[in-house]
Amino acid sequence: MDKARVGVFLSDGGNEFSKILDFAALTNYVKNVSDVVFVAKGNNFWEGKGLQTIVDAIKERKIDRVVVAETLPKLSEVKIARAVEDAGLNPYLMEFLDLKDHCAWPHQDTPAEATEKAKAMLRGAIERAKLLEPLEKLEFSALKSALIIGGGLAGMQTALNLADMGIEAHLVEKEPFIGGLAARAGRFFPTDDCAICIQPPASDVKTITHTSRKCVYRSGFTETPNLNILTNSKVVAVEGVPGNYKVTIEKKPRYVNELKCTGCDQCTAVCPVEVPDDYNAKLQTRKAIYMNIPNVHPPVYVIDDSVCKFYDCNKCVEVCPTNAIEFDQKPELITLNVGGIIVATGFKEFDASVIKEYHYDDYPDVITNLEFARMIDGFGPTGGVIIRPSNGKPAKKIVFIQCVGSRDRRYKPYCSSICCMISLKHATTIKTAYPDADISICYIDIRTTGREHEYYYEKARDMGIKFVKGRPTEVTRNPETGKLSVDVEDALLNRFLELDADLVVLAPAMVPAEGTEELAELLGLELEEDGFFKEYNAKLRPTETKLRGIYLAGGATFPKDAPTTSLHSHSASLKALKYLNTGKIVKDQRTAVVNEEYCGDCEFCPVTCPYGAISLVPTTEDHFVAQISDLQCEGCGVCVGTCPLNAIELRHSRPNQMLAQMKGLLSVNGTSKPLVLAICCSECGHTAVDSSGMAKMRYPANVRVMKVPCTGILQVHQLLEAFQAGAQGVMVVGCKSDGCHYEVGSQKAAKKVDLARTLLKEYGIAPDRLEMFNMVYIEGDRFAEAAQMITEKVEKLGPLQLMGGS
Amino acid sequence: MGFSDAVTSHLGGETMTLCYQCGTCASSCPVAKITPSFNPREVIKLSLLGAKDEILSGDAIWLCCSCYNCQERCPQRVQIADVIYALRNIAIEKGHIPNIYSEFASALLNDGRIVNVSQFVENKRESIGLPPLQPVGVEALRKILSATKFNKLQKQEKSQ
Repeated sequence: MDKARVGVFLSDGGNEFSKILDFAALTNYVKNVSDVVFVAKGNNFWEGKGLQTIVDAIKERKIDRVVVAETLPKLSEVKIARAVEDAGLNPYLMEFLDLKDHCAWPHQDTPAEATEKAKAMLRGAIERAKLLEPLEKLEFSALKSALIIGGGLAGMQTALNLADMGIEAHLVEKEPFIGGLAARAGRFFPTDDCAICIQPPASDVKTITHTSRKCVYRSGFTETPNLNILTNSKVVAVEGVPGNYKVTIEKKPRYVNELKCTGCDQCTAVCPVEVPDDYNAKLQTRKAIYMNIPNVHPPVYVIDDSVCKFYDCNKCVEVCPTNAIEFDQKPELITLNVGGIIVATGFKEFDASVIKEYHYDDYPDVITNLEFARMIDGFGPTGGVIIRPSNGKPAKKIVFIQCVGSRDRRYKPYCSSICCMISLKHATTIKTAYPDADISICYIDIRTTGREHEYYYEKARDMGIKFVKGRPTEVTRNPETGKLSVDVEDALLNRFLELDADLVVLAPAMVPAEGTEELAELLGLELEEDGFFKEYNAKLRPTETKLRGIYLAGGATFPKDAPTTSLHSHSASLKALKYLNTGKIVKDQRTAVVNEEYCGDCEFCPVTCPYGAISLVPTTEDHFVAQISDLQCEGCGVCVGTCPLNAIELRHSRPNQMLAQMKGLLSVNGTSKPLVLAICCSECGHTAVDSSGMAKMRYPANVRVMKVPCTGILQVHQLLEAFQAGAQGVMVVGCKSDGCHYEVGSQKAAKKVDLARTLLKEYGIAPDRLEMFNMVYIEGDRFAEAAQMITEKVEKLGPLQLMGGS
Repeated sequence: MGFSDAVTSHLGGETMTLCYQCGTCASSCPVAKITPSFNPREVIKLSLLGAKDEILSGDAIWLCCSCYNCQERCPQRVQIADVIYALRNIAIEKGHIPNIYSEFASALLNDGRIVNVSQFVENKRESIGLPPLQPVGVEALRKILSATKFNKLQKQEKSQ
């Protein structure tokens, strides 16, 4: 390799730092470092004349490495990189350092020491820059199509959004009809109108009027161009990578031709098979050929093959005027090629029967909120009349019990967040229809946090609905009259109440939908402890997963009401669109590479990679090597830190690049204190150093900061090498263990540090010379304290003597 | 250390702070249903609020019948009956012990039984063909009880 030609650009921030750092001395020092062919000092290098200096040096002095010491490094890095690229140099051949926040400010009380530290920082940056290799920007094609799993409110809205914006959207619903929980809920808060509204599709000329919403069945939704709805279908296999997934769908037979059926209803009249209607809370029966409710999609019948007698009966075939019944339909496997996947599988009610004292499974007059929703639906089994399922008579005294399984550490410790509002909606709805109804709500806390929500609580009190602050211990039934009684203490009255009830409505916790675990397994996604899908970042990226290309919409991440579900779906659509719309995924090449000569036959790295980017490929018989996908690798280096054979390197954080920088940083001391190396992750760790500097907090200049992508990259021997390179103490500074930007890196680093401490002890070196810290940006004060603390500790321990040390 | 901390750091009292006052314990409690002097929810609330004297010198904590209904049904898994045992232990450490308990303790230490053997019991046993009750090995029992500091209960009574 030709010798590098390094250009160094020193900014004094408009002369401000000249008062602390001796720039003449720095310039002289840098000039004498080997391979440095150009040095410039200026006020700034990120715009105007300063930036031109860099461009000119590339063009005229033929420098091929750019080292910039700027005062606004985070801002200027991007701008300078663009100019460097325009000047014809690979923009990855640059190294930045921050002489302001990492040197001048924290060490302003000891200017001479600060200048010596600045020399070391420059040396580290130059030595590292010399070893950098040019990198490419990578582009991967992304199909302009998406799979949306789940046809409830979230899935419908997401599919519609994407289809409207020109993405081929495949909406897959496992039930024979779309609509999900929303269709069963009947009415929604906070609008008190139907649950089955949808935004009008943009493509439909009839609805292009920007009306606020449309009934799903007349919205033209199903006819939206680019939208393909698959009901009775389930995802059974997913292969491929972000941008190019191959998905296999199993579509169960409907036994009714969707194109021929006119929904005339003659078949259900002749069908002799009657079974309890699960969809309608078993409050009625349905036939083997059925539709859930009249306004469903698709508006055609389906045959329940678990009960239909097919040819032995044949009655529906005989009456069907359009010959739509097809008993010979078979399950089919459909293959779809999609660029992105949106999980919109939602949630369901917790099985209330496990709480035995509420007798959900043995008292028919104890029902759940969702079952109650079927009862108050005009399309429902009772035509909107509130009855006692045990005898069909009207129910006048109704008791709601909140938090059934929610906020319960035996079952679901979380607050399901929507059940208070559901019960308030139900209570006010019946009270409006039946003003003489006697309604009580037993609650632990009433939670009405959304816009308009408190109004429901207010309205309920105004209507005379009774609120009992207490969680009932038991529901009992009078064996003679069949009447129920709810045994509860009203904590405000300090009195025990036995509330008579014709009907008890439970508000069960909301739990992940059926099949959530299997789907997570299929997609390689993680679930939270509560069983819902884990989002990439709860604060900022609620609809993304750590896998580029897979997104989350609606209740799949946590129970949500309709407004939140809508917001969530729109967000997921936008996030998916980011790649799908451009047809490509762009990222850089700071990824990990495997040296196949060393790699072989262990399975550590694929298991460790937080992004599933590593696969094992066979070489010869019984042997295999790791292969890393540039598309899926996010450049954390956790695999590097894990590999027992040093067979993986991360581009731009290769061991020789890291060692060169380390040696440079420790090449000059210039203080009376022992050198301490602070190895900081590029995220929270490095920003904590920034913020301590920005706030002008002081720590001694013997502390030298080295940036690594993630502390997860560190290997035990590298920690030991730091001592060999001259450090008397080593700090490893990473993100919080549960807040690592790369999921597991700082946890892995903590283990490495533990192990290295054990080894140090074996070598007769005080393990206290090495310590792991976890901090975030706003904890700059903690960084300054830690740097001070470890310096004092190492001073007390005295100089480190290594045999054959450098 | 505040009273609430004292309870949670005592064996059995650890789960007390989980209580969110839903009242499931109270409506599960057979004692609370018949006397206003005892309500497990109130005992926990008062302890959380630090009403040390009221809890330790009052009767409430001694009225729990240890049926564990509350503990079975508590949605926060507060070990309510165990919290009440912790409170009783703290009360005894502070010298608060109802007479009936110290009488039981004395009886156990002296005779090896809480309830004295009466002629009525002997007659009853004879009528159903059981042999007469044998004296209990009081010495061994005393050793065990003093090892567990049970004898303190009696001393407290004497000092009162």
